[in-house]
Amino acid sequence: MSALGHYLEEEGIPTVAMSLIRAQTENTKPPRAPWVPFELGRPFGPPSDPAFQKRVVVAALNLLERGDGPVLIEDFPKDDPRARPDAQWRAPFATSDRDAGSTARLAATLEEESARVDADYGRIAKDRGRTIVGLSGLSVTEAGRYMAAWLRGQIPDSPNPELSAPLALRFAVDDLKAAYMEVALAGPGKPSSNQLDDWLWNATAAGAAIFALRRMYLTSEDDRLKAIAGLFLVPGVRVQ
Amino acid sequence: MARLTDLPPAQAKRYAELECPSFATTPWVEGPPLAERRVAIVSSAGLVVRGEKPFRGRDADYRVIPSETRPEQLMFSHISINLDRSGFQEDWNVVFPLDRLRELAADGVIGSVAATHYSFMGATDPVQMEGYAREVAARLKSDAVDAVLLSPV
Repeated sequence: MSALGHYLEEEGIPTVAMSLIRAQTENTKPPRAPWVPFELGRPFGPPSDPAFQKRVVVAALNLLERGDGPVLIEDFPKDDPRARPDAQWRAPFATSDRDAGSTARLAATLEEESARVDADYGRIAKDRGRTIVGLSGLSVTEAGRYMAAWLRGQIPDSPNPELSAPLALRFAVDDLKAAYMEVALAGPGKPSSNQLDDWLWNATAAGAAIFALRRMYLTSEDDRLKAIAGLFLVPGVRVQ
Repeated sequence: MARLTDLPPAQAKRYAELECPSFATTPWVEGPPLAERRVAIVSSAGLVVRGEKPFRGRDADYRVIPSETRPEQLMFSHISINLDRSGFQEDWNVVFPLDRLRELAADGVIGSVAATHYSFMGATDPVQMEGYAREVAARLKSDAVDAVLLSPV
């Protein structure tokens, strides 16, 4: 991001670059950068908190009026209140037999669970008028089936001629995770991302299935598949 | 949460030791008062308007996001799985604060909001992005943009 700012500034356009990793910003030395103590993925802080977000945006834009750079790195003073868990939030469900039996059994459980989530997801997405599901072009049920085929050791054809099969798997996993999160966000309370992730990875067949896919294809002879399995299915924090 | 001390040690080490580009110059451009500026967002979240090609891997090019884009049209195709997406799912302003910019323009804090915003894939080698970044600069200038809010994830 700081590199982009460098190029734009060289072309004559003033920039201010949000900083999430202070050490990287110190290395790249952008003209102006407010460092924010928020988690990766939330450069403007808590969702559904316009007043807080506006403070962040204004703090960033105010650096454009300063004349004492380069380099300006300023720390934003407030933590994200949504980083704290919310006791009011309830997980939508837990699949108790997700760890039982074989990979084939897990594949069947995933198909059943994802079809059930699809029904809730469809209703919620319609009510909200918004979803980020859609990278793979598959419905949630179809994404579950596609992942289940990989779990069964088949190498299914890509459902989309523009995507290789390994990339289709990655997008199917992304879509499935997104649908589960949207269902989990629809309940009461304002969960932290950690609460949502704990639920996905520890209480659903989808989480168990994604872990299993990672294990299965981490040693694949197909370099693309191996890379997808190792780097793009399970977050690093969940495999350490 | 993005303090390195809050991250798992291996991830923190990767971020701290990530090779960053070094530049011979440190450009610095000033402009008019904020209340007269036209502001654009340039994101590196791999954002893409629904119906357009998602970013694949480490594509170096960019996607155009017209200012009239609605939240339900904006997708998130960043390659990294080590960052939160649920905040964006709940409220796009967490990553793409277009509603906040509109409010600031209405309040007279900034002059106006650009007609077009842009997104890159942040995990891409910056050297590969340079030509595209300069292309975006030309497009921004043609829209009279004189302030860019760079939004990484």
